[in-house]
This record gives sequence, structure tokens and C-alpha cells, in this order.
Amino acid sequence: MDVNQYMSMFLEEAREHLQTLNQSILELENNPEDLSILDVIFRSAHTIKGMSATMGFTTIAELTHEMENILDYLRRGDMKATKEIIDTIFKCVDSLEQLVEDVSNNMEPSVDVKGLVQTLSTLVKNPAAPVVADVAPAITPAPVKEEEPTKVEGELPLLELTEGELDIAHAAATAGQQTYEIQVFLRPDCILKSARVFMIMNALEAMGEVLRAQPPAEDLEKENFEASFQLVFVTKQEPTVVEKAIVSVSEVDRAILIPIQVDEYAAAPFVPAAIVEAGGNGQPKPQSGKTAAEAVEKIAPTPGATGGADKKVKGGQSVRVDIDKLDSLLNLVGELVINKTRLEQIGITHKLTELVETIEQMDRVTTDLQAVVMKVRMVPVGQVFNRFPRMVRDLSRELGKEVNLIIQGEETELDRTVIDEIGDPLVHLLRNAIDHGLERPADRQAVGKNPVGEIRLIARHEGNNVIILVEDDGKGINPEIIKQKAVAKGLISQAEAEKMEPADAVRLVFLPGFSTAEVVTDVSGRGVGMDAVKNKIESLGGMVDVETKVNEGSKFKIRLPLTLAIIQALMVKVAEENYAIPLGSIDSTINIIPADIKTIQNREVILLRGQIIPIVRLGQVLGLPETAQQEEEELFVVVVHMGDQKAGIIVDNLIGQQEIVIKSLGKLLAGIKVLAGATILGNGQVALILDIGALIQ
Amino acid sequence: MEATFSGNEVQLVVFKLGREEYAVSILHVQEIKRVTDITRVPNAPDYICGVINLRGSVLPVIDLKKRLDLPAQGYTDDTRIIIVRVEEIAVGMIVDGVSEVTALSQENIEQPQVVSGGVAADFLEGIGKQEGRLIILLNLSAIIGLGQESKVS
Repeated sequence: MDVNQYMSMFLEEAREHLQTLNQSILELENNPEDLSILDVIFRSAHTIKGMSATMGFTTIAELTHEMENILDYLRRGDMKATKEIIDTIFKCVDSLEQLVEDVSNNMEPSVDVKGLVQTLSTLVKNPAAPVVADVAPAITPAPVKEEEPTKVEGELPLLELTEGELDIAHAAATAGQQTYEIQVFLRPDCILKSARVFMIMNALEAMGEVLRAQPPAEDLEKENFEASFQLVFVTKQEPTVVEKAIVSVSEVDRAILIPIQVDEYAAAPFVPAAIVEAGGNGQPKPQSGKTAAEAVEKIAPTPGATGGADKKVKGGQSVRVDIDKLDSLLNLVGELVINKTRLEQIGITHKLTELVETIEQMDRVTTDLQAVVMKVRMVPVGQVFNRFPRMVRDLSRELGKEVNLIIQGEETELDRTVIDEIGDPLVHLLRNAIDHGLERPADRQAVGKNPVGEIRLIARHEGNNVIILVEDDGKGINPEIIKQKAVAKGLISQAEAEKMEPADAVRLVFLPGFSTAEVVTDVSGRGVGMDAVKNKIESLGGMVDVETKVNEGSKFKIRLPLTLAIIQALMVKVAEENYAIPLGSIDSTINIIPADIKTIQNREVILLRGQIIPIVRLGQVLGLPETAQQEEEELFVVVVHMGDQKAGIIVDNLIGQQEIVIKSLGKLLAGIKVLAGATILGNGQVALILDIGALIQ
Repeated sequence: MEATFSGNEVQLVVFKLGREEYAVSILHVQEIKRVTDITRVPNAPDYICGVINLRGSVLPVIDLKKRLDLPAQGYTDDTRIIIVRVEEIAVGMIVDGVSEVTALSQENIEQPQVVSGGVAADFLEGIGKQEGRLIILLNLSAIIGLGQESKVS
């Protein structure tokens, strides 16, 4: 079997199962007695073992095998899930994660699992109860093991043999061969079903002859069956040998061999029913001369054959799609939107009513299409959040703090590109919260707080944004201390510090080179964290802010745009050049006369409804020649905001609101501060998108 | 870039800048376009004259003469934008006219010891000789500004 075609599947599934393991083991730690959690863990470990063995990753298989042993003990109640055992299992998961990444990087295993395997086997060897069940399956034609996951499936109703098959069975019996009905049960979570069937068939054909498969081989190949299938098999071999051969294929749960007593069977009334053409595929190896007889197959009323599996609730059906394909789909939709805008303009310029009407229709379709494509790219933030419980657990232990992590709104959806990027900043914030925010249990008690600290990670929608909050109930950030540090580090002057509002002082933590930890720990405190967090979030078109109360805790608020690709924008004109301002950051547009502009400390400002708003002359910022102004001339001001900060941007003209597709300016022009990207207008020209955050600063 | 002009023979796209002939390896050339609307990019390096729309993607355009410190000249009917791709970065270069595609054998290419026509040596890959013509081979990585920033003298 060529394993390469299964590689990406293997990697994806393995990662998913590792994630399940992490989550479930955490759950187990809190409920060590819960058998259903153990089952989940066991199943995931088993699947990883099966997959990796098939793919030839022996190190992974070996480690999961040992894990399985210990899990089996836990499941049978022969051992208790102690802290030590949980820690060891966690270590195994960590090593497995590394090993899977090695596979994905096409590297030799970089982790030595010998030590872990050793630890595991010593743990297994010294359980409280000495009863060790034989690992090899017992050999009886009856259901062998009544393991938890297999309970769902009962024994299947026997197949009825066709006349042709009976003939063969008779002939075989006289030749000293025995006919069996084999019922094979794959593990319910088996992923390479057709591969398994293929391997089983291969093994069987080496020992005898498969007369029939139910469902037919064609369906088996197409994975058109649930977890079980039945075979009629003629062989000289002992049933134990046959069973072993089948069970040795990975991901096979069990196989039941039922000897068919030919004579008694023949005596049973044979009811000819509707006849179907089973096709050559129905019988992998039809005997010559018998083909005609075998081709006639009775429709077996076998609703029970899949009865157990049918009860499974079918979840939403899904397809895995490469993210690149989605990106190109999004690009194409973007192109469509551009061309639609172009058509719109043609319609308006040439006053073509019919065209304009048609385009209105098209507009609805493209809007829907765009919404659907955007939705397809949306991923719940849970995908990022679900790795945090484990991290928080490890970290709180390491630091000797007790933490209760509360996660809310993990179903909130964000664009895939944002999801991919948001993980690291959140890790920084959570680490900071645990390391700097939360006090040690004793200190907490001393100030009358619950010794267990609380960290909340909350995601929610707010208008066209997604808000992610990281809150802790720790000691908060003391603005005075921050000021002192900032002065000591030369980030601000003493005079500046004295004038600074407490809220602004706290924001100093986002400055590059700022670190409040007195002792630099491995966890945080290198002073790169917060400034990196801010940069990352701003590069995603988002913002981060902090609120804090001394002794009550801190709250970091991240605001992210829902999507990065298509936005509403206001097009403005400055000296014959077009620029786009994202509508999301626009408060209002106003007209002023030059006399309205005052200066405070040499900065130009205007007064708008009692608020002082600094002025940005766009032409100046963009290096355009000053347009001669007459005193009485009206000026267009676009009032924008970024967080609590506002600014008025003076432009020459307002063109109108428009939907734009954001395009990157590319590596070569990436460093230009005031630009957030570019877009292509209806007339094919490129217009640049202003970065409001940079303009305000 | 070393490899670009090694081997026995190289295929070159030859173009004009003023009265001199320059060339880049054909392997880097994606297409040649007439001059279209170029949107100026504020605060960009002075040799970048702006961005263009190339079938839906936004591409920076380099004013090659400015980059090489050659005297500026208005656009004519012959002015073209050569779209080149170096290390996954695509850019356009404005040239005064594209003359031909030609093959030059390795022994006819000399290492750039003399600075010719005031062009900074960093930007040169070699000088090609063909039937009495001199063709200046350009180092695209340096021109685009990859690696250490090379300064125009």
C-alpha cells in the first residue's frame, strides 16, 4: 500500500486525536473516576496507534501501545488515575505531538521515547491489582471481548447461503474444508476502512476462499458500509488462525467465526426471493463453473446488519478543503466584485437603466456569494482556545499558583487568517496574567481573595468586530510602578510621567522594551511580549487595550475585524489621488472652514461638539504639494477613531462609499507606515488604503 | 543569481535605457506590458514610481533609470514595463524599449570590473559582448533591494 496518499489524512487525524487527548486528559484529571472520559482517551490513543502502525511510524505506535496498556488498566479500575499517572500521560501526549510534527516535517523522530515507555511499563507492572488479563483475544466463535466501544454492535444476523454457495460448502466439507461465516467489526472510528478491508481480504485469500461478501466487495471498496461486514469463507485452517489473521489488521475490533453446518443448513427451507445480479465484484474469487449459480444472489433482508451503526446520529456532513483553495475562491469572488463595480459605473455614466437594473440583481447575488465564501472561511475561535486549558494547567503548576480558567464564547467565529495569527498574542496575554497578574495562593488569602485565581478568556461579537477579553482577578497593574519603570528605562521623562493619566500610564506596558517582572522568568518578563502582542494585533487590523484596577485585576481587550478581505470604505480624493478609508474607523464627515482650525501646543486641532480633535492634513502626510487655500474655502474633514483616540483627516474631496477588496502591497512596499494595503477600483486603477492607526499616531 | 548567467549559453531579454543596452535573464521575465496607469505610493523609496494592476494583483513598479541613476526622460511609445519575478517577488521595471531576446555564450560575458555609464557596480552582473555591442547584464536581486540594501552612488 502506498502510504503517501494517506499522509495528509494521517497528519490531520493524528493532530485532532492529540487535541482530543489533551482535552480529555484534563477532564480526567478533574473526574478521575469517569469511565466515559477514559473511553474517549483510549479510543483516541488506539486510533493513533492503529494509524501510525499502518503508516509505518513505529515510534508513535510503540508509545501509544504502552499508553493504551496503562489506559486499559485505568479503565478496568485496576489502577487509579493518580497525579503521577496523569502527568506521565501528558508527557506521552507531548512526545506524540512532537513525533507527529517530525513526521509532518519529514524528519526522523526527534524524541527518544524509551524513557517514557520504561516509565509506562513500570507503572503498568505495579498496579494494585495483580490480575493481568491475557492480551491476546480469546478464541471462541462467540463475541470475544465485551469492550466498551464495541457494545454498540451486537452480533449480526447470519447470512443465508445461496444454492451455489451451499454446493461449494458441501464439496468443501467432503474435501476436509470448513465453511465459516465471518463477521468482522472494524473499530467505529476506523478511518481507512477500504484499506482495512483490502488487508483482511488479502490475509483471507492466502488461507482459503472468500465466497461472498455482504455488503458486496464493490461497496466495501467504496466504504459504503458502517463498521461491520460479513463474509462467507471456506478454509482448511483452524478458526483461531483465521481470527488471528483478521484481528492482527489494525483498527479491527473483533472478528467472529461461525462454522456453517452444511447439512443442517441444507435442511432449512430455502425461499427463493427476488433475484439480483450481484456482479463479478460480489465474489472476489468465484469458482469457475459455479459463477452462474453464484451470480444469483438473494437479497438478504439485512436491516439489522447495520442496525447498531444506523442509530448513530449523523452530524453535519463536512468536507475538508485546502485553505489555498478557499483563498483562491475568495480572490475570484473579489475579482467578481471589482468587475461588478466597474459595470455599475458604466451603467451610471451611460445612463443605461436596463444595465443598472440587471446589475442590481447581480449585486444581490455577488453579495450573497461573498457572504457565503466569507462564512466558509470562518472558524470558531474554540480552535485556538482549546489548547489553552492544558497550557494554563502546566503553567500554574510550574509557578505554584492555582488557576481556574473560564472560557466563554468559543463558538464565536473569525476569519481563518485571523485565527491562525491570534494564537501567539493570546498565549502571551494568558502567560502574563498567570505570571504577573495572579498572586500566589497565600498572598491572595492574605488580602481576602479566593486562593484560586480566576482567568477569563471571553470571545464575543460586537458590531463588525470580534472582541476577545483576557481578564484576571489578580493584583492589577499599578500605574505608579509602571511610570517609575518607564522613567527608569528612559522610555518617558519624569515630567511626562507626572502629567500622565493613570490609564495612559498602564498603556506603557505596550511600549517596546518594557518589562515589569522583577525577576526575568522563563515564562514571561523578557519585555518582548506585550509590544509583540500589540504589533501582531495591529497587523491584523485590530486593537488591544488594557483596563486595570489595583488589587482587583486586569482586563486586556482585543478587538479584531471579522474579516480581512473585503470591507466597506469611503473613497476620498487628495490632489487627484484616490485613497480608501475603512468605514469601520470613520465617525463622521464634516465641513469646516480654515478659521475653525486652532492650534494647541503647535498642533492643529478642531473643536467638535466640545471635543478637541487633532487634525491630520492628508496631503502633507502623503507628501503631496500643498494646494493653495483661500481663507473662505470649505474643507472636508473625515473624523476617524482608533480606540479612544480620534482625529480629523482633511481631504480635498469625498468620492463616496464603496465596497473594496483588500490586496497586499507586497513585500517590497510592506514597510510603508500610513498604508494598510491597496485595492483595485472599478476602472482598473489601483487605490491605496490608509492605515488609520498609523495616521492618528 | 550567480547561476542565472552561468552555463554555456544564456537567454537574455535586451532592453534600452537611454542609449545603452541592458539585459536580464529571460528566466526572470514574466511578461512585457505597455505603460498603464501607475498609482503613486507615498513615502515609498524614490525609485519606486508606484503600483499597477496586473490582472487583479497589485504590483510595484520600479523606475529603472532612477534606480541606476541615469538621466530621466519622458515616456514614449516604446516605453514598456517588464514584469520580472525574483525570489517570489514580482515587480515591474520601466524601460525605454525592449529590443530583442538573444542568446549569449558564457565566454562573451565579462565580470564587471569597470563601472560603465555611471551605473553602480552592485547592480551589475556582467558585461556581455556581441558583435561589437556591449550589453549590461543586471543583478535583479540588488535592483529590487533584496539582501543588503545597495546604495546608488
